[in-house]
Amino acid sequence: MNKFYRILKEELFFKLNAWTIISLLVGLFIFLPMAEVLWHFTDTADSWEHLKETVLGRYLKGSFILVLGTACLSIITGVSCAWLVSCCDFPGRRFFEWALILPLAIPTYIAAYAYFDLLDMLNPLLVWIRTSFSINTMIYLNDVLVYVVTILVLASVLYPYIYLLARSSFSNQGSQLIEAAQMLGHSPKSIFWRVALPMARPAIVAGTSLVIMETLNDYGAVKHFGVPTFTTGIFRSWLGMDDISGALRLAACLMLFIFLLLLIEKGLRGGAKFNIGISSSQPFKRYSLDLIKSRLAILICSIPLLVGFIAPVMRLSFWATSNIEKLFNASFLKLIINSLSLATISSFVAVTVAIFLAYVARYFSSSSVYTSNRMAILGYSVPGAVVAIGILLFSGQINQLNGWVLTGSFFMLIFAYLIRFLAVAWQPIDSGMEKNCEQFNNASRSLGSSTFKSLIRVNIPLLKNTLLVAGLLVFIDTIKELPLTLILRPFNFETLATRTFDLTTQGQIPESSIPALCIILVVVFPAIWLNRQMEYKK
Amino acid sequence: MRRNIFNNVFTILFLVATISTLKAEINVYSHRHYDSDKILFKQFTKETGIKINIIKGSADQLIQRLISEGNNSPADVLLTVDAGRLERARAAGVLQPVKSNILLKNIPSAMRDHEGYWYGLTVRARVIVYAKDRVNPSELSTYEDLADKKWKGRIVVRSSSNIYNQSLLASIIVANGSKNALSWAKAVRKNMARTPRGSDRDQARAVSSGIADIAIMNTYYLGILANSSERADREVAEKLAVFFPNQNDRGAHINVSGGGVTRSSKNKEEAIRFLEFLSNSKSQETFGKVNYEYPVKIEMNKSNLLKSWGSFKVDEVSLSVLGAKNSEAVKLFDRAGWE
Repeated sequence: MNKFYRILKEELFFKLNAWTIISLLVGLFIFLPMAEVLWHFTDTADSWEHLKETVLGRYLKGSFILVLGTACLSIITGVSCAWLVSCCDFPGRRFFEWALILPLAIPTYIAAYAYFDLLDMLNPLLVWIRTSFSINTMIYLNDVLVYVVTILVLASVLYPYIYLLARSSFSNQGSQLIEAAQMLGHSPKSIFWRVALPMARPAIVAGTSLVIMETLNDYGAVKHFGVPTFTTGIFRSWLGMDDISGALRLAACLMLFIFLLLLIEKGLRGGAKFNIGISSSQPFKRYSLDLIKSRLAILICSIPLLVGFIAPVMRLSFWATSNIEKLFNASFLKLIINSLSLATISSFVAVTVAIFLAYVARYFSSSSVYTSNRMAILGYSVPGAVVAIGILLFSGQINQLNGWVLTGSFFMLIFAYLIRFLAVAWQPIDSGMEKNCEQFNNASRSLGSSTFKSLIRVNIPLLKNTLLVAGLLVFIDTIKELPLTLILRPFNFETLATRTFDLTTQGQIPESSIPALCIILVVVFPAIWLNRQMEYKK
Repeated sequence: MRRNIFNNVFTILFLVATISTLKAEINVYSHRHYDSDKILFKQFTKETGIKINIIKGSADQLIQRLISEGNNSPADVLLTVDAGRLERARAAGVLQPVKSNILLKNIPSAMRDHEGYWYGLTVRARVIVYAKDRVNPSELSTYEDLADKKWKGRIVVRSSSNIYNQSLLASIIVANGSKNALSWAKAVRKNMARTPRGSDRDQARAVSSGIADIAIMNTYYLGILANSSERADREVAEKLAVFFPNQNDRGAHINVSGGGVTRSSKNKEEAIRFLEFLSNSKSQETFGKVNYEYPVKIEMNKSNLLKSWGSFKVDEVSLSVLGAKNSEAVKLFDRAGWE
């Protein structure tokens, strides 16, 4: 308790200045829409009993199976590919090293569209089962297939999260431990299971938690394949039944679920911290594989690339070429410009806010600013649907207060992206500052340089690369974003993502291939660059 | 002198007024995403000089957005499908009642709100579509009959999140009471050949591929499939036929797609004019020919494809009553386990 008072006193008397006050206000302002959501949890929801009795179990089951399946499949794919490209040598390794991240460029809803008829293709099989076995077997198999296909589609574009983190963990482990194990007579197999994998565990867990959040956030794919999840439940209660309190209760369950996962992840990571000390700069010498094993390795690495990127892009391209006459018109150019400019502005805003918040918290080592930062980045760990509810409630209140209509303004749209994606910019900037700037800030402060000068002359130049990385990450996420843009966009305003969605809801899946391909193209190049950046760093 | 100033002011005011009428525009929130609308909007602007700004989106989200924007919303017109949604918008207080003799003349009273909050613009029937080679139409009779065990594993229909299904169940609640409606939904769910998923079009595909024998779906989807540029779609449509249920009692369930003027509208006159335009006989014909929807006066139908399905008896229950039963229908679906 005493310690708490001491910290409070410190915060109030020594660390309260224009910088900290402004960043506290900014952080809290960004947190406001999320606070709306939390605030409404306490509402009495008459519908809750009904939801609990009827559909809650179904949503739980659907989400659970989906999360479990997608996570497992992504871990198997991501980890095995990461191990192969970072610790083994085989022809084509350098190619797979960067090519395996490409599926990251495909949003889950586009992957679902690219595979929209995958289930229909299985119809002859189902009809055969119906005629030669029984209807019940067919119904059962159909239900199972829905999950299998959805999990396959989701994992095929989400595994790169795990692949990226596991790869950098494997290649940063250095030679010492693995060489020690080799000297002790361990086979490569035993080294993988007993040394490399346990050491990479925190990275794999971190990657898995990203996969899980993306799975829970997905709306397009689960809606398309008809899998009941929390997100579909939230949309149904909120929009279909006009029952905000019921929807928010469901969102609360979902947030609880996510926070539990984050806690578990933190716990797991905490125990594994020791490995930082023994990472070595000397890279480990890769195992060279014999002919058969090389072929096997190529096969293993080709499958996810094929399923997650080449096949969907080929299908989309095939459809696009049959609609090519619709490609080159003015409205389409406008779509690209809209998407690009929106994403550029949003990433600029997010990076600016993130560097300001992270800097103030670190420079003044203020725990209150740090806490408000943590609150401000919460929007990333909840699905876009929940952020959308928060924003509509929030802008509704502003409207009542002074008559401003914020929905449908670019300001609100960019603010929404900021809430959703601030974490994406903040995390790398904050850890970059921790690694690179702390001592320089102290030095520049003791040399009498002002707070602002330290930021401009020391931090920003030092973090130039990190800022670019952060900006690109936000850029990629904004281009791919769908639910917030759909709800909040201004009149006559369409982006590549909303056009894709509009066309697919009309069932014009072939026509939607052109904007979908554009999204992939726009995202692929920054993604490749980011990947090279990561390699360059190590 | 004073008179001069007066004159000048008047001239300026007049000029401003003409410029603003020249630049008249309306803001439309629309759920409808059909080619017919694109054609009609262009036509409207050409005829009246009124520009149309549009936001397309899911109706439910647009209604939430209207609620959040309140009196300051820039929207003038809300266009959506299904009376259930129009009624929801009315209940949420985002529409205003408007009166127009043209609308009253063009739109039969069952197809509009009695106080003028919303007006139906097109009609779609939710019917039974069956595989010609596997189902004898004499097997088919009513919606109620779909609960019979003989249909075990033979029905496909989309999710209960879909408003068309909600309105259908609402019509069954009105006709047979909640208790019977619940057991109907339970029985139909048990008769399904698969867990509900996909659009109405996907149900047609499932029937044509042999997963199931009949589908509950809206008529115009079959029209879209039959006239698709894809050969596979046309083949699907060829294998299927339309059956209008309950012809010996209350009639087939129909619904409208329609619109209303928003409470916040700043261009009420233009907004009404827009609805009037969509209800005139030429626009009604376009809806039928491009999107295979029935005109609000069903007997005025001019589309050959729709004519080929034959005329049918319509369930004449008031659509606002169905709208009012919407939330009950959703809850019954939940309890019936119909996903």
